Amino acid sequence: MMKTTSRLIGTLFIPLILMAASHSAVADPGTKSPGRLSGDFGPPQGEPIHAILTSPPNVPPPIHRKFPAKVIVDLEVVEQEKEISEGVKYMFWTFGGTVPGSFIRVRQGDTVEFHLKNNPGSKMPHNIDLHGVTGPGGGAASSFTAPGHESQFTFKALNEGIYVYHCATAPVGMHIANGMYGMILVEPPEGLSPVDHEYYVMQGDFYTAGKYREKGLQAFDMDKAIDERPTYVLFNGAEGSLTGDKALTARTDQKIRLFIGNGGPNLVSSFHVIGAIFDKVRYEGGTNMQKNVQTTLIPSGGAAVVEFQTKVPGSYVLVDHSIFRAFNKGALAILKVDGPPKKEIYSGKELDSVYLGDRAQANMASVSVATKAAASGTLTQQEQINAGRELFAGTCSVCHQPNGAGLPGVFPPLAGSDFLNSNHQRAVGIALHGLTGKVVVNGNDYTSVMPPMNQLNDDEIANILTYVLNSWGNKGGTIDASAVKAERARPVAEQAGH
Amino acid sequence: MGTALSTWLSLVWLAVVATAATADDLAPVGYVTVTPGSLTSVLSNSSDNRPIPVKPFSVRVTPVTNAEFLNFVLKNPDWGRDRIASVFADHTYLHGWKSATDYGDQTDRQRPVTNVSWFAAQAFCEHEAARLPTWYEWEYLAAADATHADARKDPAWRARILAWYDTPTDMHGPTVGGAANYYGVRDLHGLIWEWVEDFNALFISPDSRNQGDPDKLKFCGAGALSLQDKENFAILMRIALLSSLSGADTTDNLGFRCARSAVPNLTHTTPNQ
Amino acid sequence: MNKSIHSVLSCKAARIAVFAFGMLAVSCHSVAADQTARAQRLPGNSIYQLPISLTDQDGHEFRLSGKRGKPVIVSMFYNSCQFVCPMLIDTLQMTEDSLTPVQRNSLSVLLVTFDPARDSVAVLKSITNARHLDAQHWTLARTDDGSVRKLAAILGIQFKLLENGDYNHSTALVLLDGEGRILGSTNQIGEVDPQFAKLVRDAAK
Repeated sequence: MMKTTSRLIGTLFIPLILMAASHSAVADPGTKSPGRLSGDFGPPQGEPIHAILTSPPNVPPPIHRKFPAKVIVDLEVVEQEKEISEGVKYMFWTFGGTVPGSFIRVRQGDTVEFHLKNNPGSKMPHNIDLHGVTGPGGGAASSFTAPGHESQFTFKALNEGIYVYHCATAPVGMHIANGMYGMILVEPPEGLSPVDHEYYVMQGDFYTAGKYREKGLQAFDMDKAIDERPTYVLFNGAEGSLTGDKALTARTDQKIRLFIGNGGPNLVSSFHVIGAIFDKVRYEGGTNMQKNVQTTLIPSGGAAVVEFQTKVPGSYVLVDHSIFRAFNKGALAILKVDGPPKKEIYSGKELDSVYLGDRAQANMASVSVATKAAASGTLTQQEQINAGRELFAGTCSVCHQPNGAGLPGVFPPLAGSDFLNSNHQRAVGIALHGLTGKVVVNGNDYTSVMPPMNQLNDDEIANILTYVLNSWGNKGGTIDASAVKAERARPVAEQAGH
Repeated sequence: MGTALSTWLSLVWLAVVATAATADDLAPVGYVTVTPGSLTSVLSNSSDNRPIPVKPFSVRVTPVTNAEFLNFVLKNPDWGRDRIASVFADHTYLHGWKSATDYGDQTDRQRPVTNVSWFAAQAFCEHEAARLPTWYEWEYLAAADATHADARKDPAWRARILAWYDTPTDMHGPTVGGAANYYGVRDLHGLIWEWVEDFNALFISPDSRNQGDPDKLKFCGAGALSLQDKENFAILMRIALLSSLSGADTTDNLGFRCARSAVPNLTHTTPNQ
Repeated sequence: MNKSIHSVLSCKAARIAVFAFGMLAVSCHSVAADQTARAQRLPGNSIYQLPISLTDQDGHEFRLSGKRGKPVIVSMFYNSCQFVCPMLIDTLQMTEDSLTPVQRNSLSVLLVTFDPARDSVAVLKSITNARHLDAQHWTLARTDDGSVRKLAAILGIQFKLLENGDYNHSTALVLLDGEGRILGSTNQIGEVDPQFAKLVRDAAK
């Protein structure tokens, strides 16, 4: 009480000085509205308003007021044991009972009367530093509050933007590590553009004595915090806080705005939404906008605003793209988008074909030569044979062996095969559609299953068969791609091989 | 009529006995003499952080209990919750007690008294020819574990203290009388915060990031004291808590114990009258 | 006839009567004192509740509550302080100067030293002389260490003795009303705090 008068004087002097300064200064060409005092729109008008505070992931409604007002913010610090992960408990220190703390929304030029209360059950004193406050310590010096007490200070929100707030009581790192951070949005006087959903997400790193997901009440580990070795990296203070039935929701064709912050205490976030591109990013929460961004950096103690449009339904995963944090420390959240599919934008899986990878051997040059030649209509038999040789290896050679000998009693030979040489068209059909049932090749019975090779295209089958017909004592011949095409197009009942 | 009267009389008699028992049934107060020494403090006293000498003193083995404080209030009714001047204690003073002269449950008897202001704690100590310990005396005692005078480098010492910060405040928590430390003093950690005589000498900026940036006009002399060994979080918490308080403040988990400077010819400790 | 008074007084009955009259007088006085005390009971939020005694620059002992009656600006300082404390006195003088003579007359200033060990009565007197402080309105005082701590606590002033004999201390000018209740304070020194000056002017009416 002793110091209140002088502290009030201190905090009010600064905006008054700034006002005086801006009177005499030339309007900064960088400001949005040249000629207007930067950020100070005069004394508050109308009745004082009690700010609506929301718990994450919700955001208070946009402000439609067109004049500066006195806004009263009542925020309580509560020390509370909560689940950080299933079966894992942690003693969090919170603003408003949540991690991150309540979201505060005011308008640029508002005079904010801030009441910080410290629940009597708290062990620790706490204070608050709002990054949007112009004044010593961001309000921290004026809000140092013992358990069971309340502090009040007043500031004018001169700068618009999205700002982090956090506790700045010694030891600061520990207070932040225990969850004492949140965000305050200072709307520009004209407000933000309308969107369908606004959400509030904040990343933080947590340090426990036990290992990741080790059950029971976990204590804060100072050494890990100093060494920057977090046990958990989480969105909104708990694993699963934004997944499953707690996922963020939206419909297709909706505009989404995420106020995304990073309380730290240590890590920088590489924020990314899997499957989405940020149409607009107010990087670092500042005035400038970046467009078409995949991943944006959010400094510790910083924030950003990202906007994107949902188009295709599905689950979009928010991650810190320092990816082990997402999958091994819990830094993931879900935005579930419902609505009709849009195949023209994203089709889902169209084809699942065999990808040979490096089983398709080194010299694919002959295949490219053949392809080019075929395209220009100058394909020679030798080119087909060369290409066919490369393609045979790794596909057909697996069963029929590189020398075409097959496996006695199991896979029929291709070398000197009477079955093969007597009917080329049948061979094409077998390559395309496969073969089951008994065949007699060179006087021997083979009852096996040959799978269809319809993943190979017409050229490939033509070239392979041409190679086979001209190898290991076979009688020669050429298979044309058009023959393969014709065979492929035939109705099933007529297909050779059945 | 006879039955009603005798019942009533028995109740009155019981009440008298109970009150009398509460007031007088206390063991003599236990003070222990502390070996003098020196302390490299978290809060330095000089520009080069020289060790601070700790002169001989004696200190209560355990914090002051509800029973002991009630005894004091009964003898000094001006310090009762109903009569205390607001300049000496705010409206939360002894709010957990059942009434101004009754701490309530018998199970609270041996619990440390909390929700007492600095002025009230001072008055209690003066009443038994003592005073509150100074910050340095408290820090000197608190640096010890069971077997070492200075265990501050031991992670186990630190961990045990930090673990207390993870437990919610419980006004019906443990009683006094935990394990003794190297000096024979109990309950310095893990039970309650404690007042010190010079609670308003703990100069840290309420915004702890300003260390090394003293406002010269605000603090005469060398500027605000710097915090050595910032890693000593366990002690920092105590300083933070005490420096957030005014003399009339109370909290649910803040109590006290008394100390006496060792003066030649000091008579032996007297029971709490 | 000379004998008559003596003989009257020596009479037992007379002694009893005198005694009774004395008792009556005494009891009347104590009743009056009780009534006065009730009328004069200090408010619960008055700092004069603090039962401390101080000694001023002229060696006179007084109770803190003896300052009751007129508004007082209280602060704390010490003589060896090179930097802030001289400015503190300057600020107090400037604040006084901003008042009318009538207002100045209804106000007093009380400065208590953190450093009773070195700031003896003689030292306090020398400061009063050196700074030309008007003894009618200014009291520089010292008290024991325990009382210094209590006074600082009640005024919200922090202080600490350093190894080299200097004190770290916060600075506050605290305005009390006639009953010892805190009306306001400032830690602005070097210039007059206009808001504090206004409080002083209002109190000194």
